[in-house]
Amino acid sequence: MYETIADLVTTATAQHQPISELIIAQEIKLSHSSREIIWATMGKNLDVMIAAAKKGSSGQGVQSATGLTGREAVLMAKYRAAGKTLSGDTMLRAVETAIATNEVNASMGIICATPTAGSAGTLPGVLSVLTERLDLTRNQQIQFLFCASAFGMIVANHAMIAGATGGCQAEVGSASAMGAAAAVEVAGGTPQQCAEAFAMAMSNLLGLVCDPVAGLVEIPCIKRNVVGSVNALTCADMALAGLTNKIPADEVISAMKRIGQDLPTSLRETGLGGLAATPTGIEMKMKIFGEDVSIHAEEGPDEGREN
Amino acid sequence: MTNRYRSVFDIIGPIMIGPSSSHTAGAVAIGHVANRLFHAPIKEVVVRYFESFAQTHRGHGTDYAIISGVLGFDPADRRVPLAVDLARRQGLKITFIEDQGLSPIGHPNTAAVTLINAEKEITVWGCSVGGGTIEIRKVDLNGLIFTPQGPLPILFVEANQPIGAALDQLFGENYRRPRVTHQLADHYIYQLDLLDRPFPEQIDQARGMSQDLTLL
Repeated sequence: MYETIADLVTTATAQHQPISELIIAQEIKLSHSSREIIWATMGKNLDVMIAAAKKGSSGQGVQSATGLTGREAVLMAKYRAAGKTLSGDTMLRAVETAIATNEVNASMGIICATPTAGSAGTLPGVLSVLTERLDLTRNQQIQFLFCASAFGMIVANHAMIAGATGGCQAEVGSASAMGAAAAVEVAGGTPQQCAEAFAMAMSNLLGLVCDPVAGLVEIPCIKRNVVGSVNALTCADMALAGLTNKIPADEVISAMKRIGQDLPTSLRETGLGGLAATPTGIEMKMKIFGEDVSIHAEEGPDEGREN
Repeated sequence: MTNRYRSVFDIIGPIMIGPSSSHTAGAVAIGHVANRLFHAPIKEVVVRYFESFAQTHRGHGTDYAIISGVLGFDPADRRVPLAVDLARRQGLKITFIEDQGLSPIGHPNTAAVTLINAEKEITVWGCSVGGGTIEIRKVDLNGLIFTPQGPLPILFVEANQPIGAALDQLFGENYRRPRVTHQLADHYIYQLDLLDRPFPEQIDQARGMSQDLTLL
């Protein structure tokens, strides 16, 4: 197995292969499956992503069972259609897709976790823009997902991808970094540029906490995916333009892990701190669950505990 | 460095009903492990939550997710959000407990799932490590305690004669030693922490020499 991003970059560069091809070869070896089956399975994941984004941004859109969130992807679609945007139609396409996907997730629709459900909108947001701008074929879209998974696997094995262990930096931060790296690959960048884009995207989101209102995956999760997508695209552009992160990608992952361990429990998917602890956040929780359901786990040292 | 994530589909995937991969899809997987180890009609389910699971199980759909797994549903099954009602209508007694203490298996996303009928009782302590991937760190099969290292695949084999040496030979370097054996009056239960997904032929062979086999 590839253990570091440096390992991926060195091998890909030496073999003149894209990183997506390295991870496909590893998957074939470890799963005892054929390339065709693995490719088709990733294709199904892509289909689910496309369907979720479409569902969330067409017609009336979708609303969550709590009524707290929903139907905002549709608002964004209308705003885009009117043509007078500040950040431009390309960027807002990512915004719309990211919101639509996470609105579908919050409404208990079917999504593909990338790498998690709470961060499921980030990669589709990036991919929707690339598909349009670079006129990607279906196979190139699937290649994007393989490349993203190679980077995600290293984060997951070296640090964490759960809000409960690392905060939102581990979810949307990881998704954004994966998306940035994969965007560089499908845009024709080098493996080293992929790693730079990854490192910049993750560095930008270090410290992002997980503070979901009422313990739901709605506020602020849905719009944090927007930040993930937009950050990924801008970092991919920076890398393609030749900008570098100075701190290597593997060291950024280690920093993310340490920051995650240092975050207090209240900011790691307990719904006890941050926005969840604002007067409005608490009121929403009371309204939905009819009582104050929080319990207070003992704060213990994290030493010796795994992620 | 851990190697708990070994497949691209641990990262891109699973396809699932929301809202949380760790608290919903991972919870389905923990419930499903309990279901597969019990393999008998269930009368009662007791779910004990720790830490983040205790705090957010309602908002994250963990209750219906665990019960979906116990009923054998896929994480993308449309019935997932309805599972608690469906199970209660089938006559299952279901209890959810929010434990105030720290997880006994050292992870904030921990659930202990107990399945009971007139003949037996098992408990599975699982944790959802992120993105839908789970670990099983403790299993109680009718009072026999197993403490796997966590990552799947984990193999349980029951045989009415000692087959440890044969299992060693069959799985070779593909498991983390030591294997665990419980010897009872009339049979043996083996638990192996496998490193990679075994080949189907290996599982067929192991099944051939055993009375019961569960590959988690």
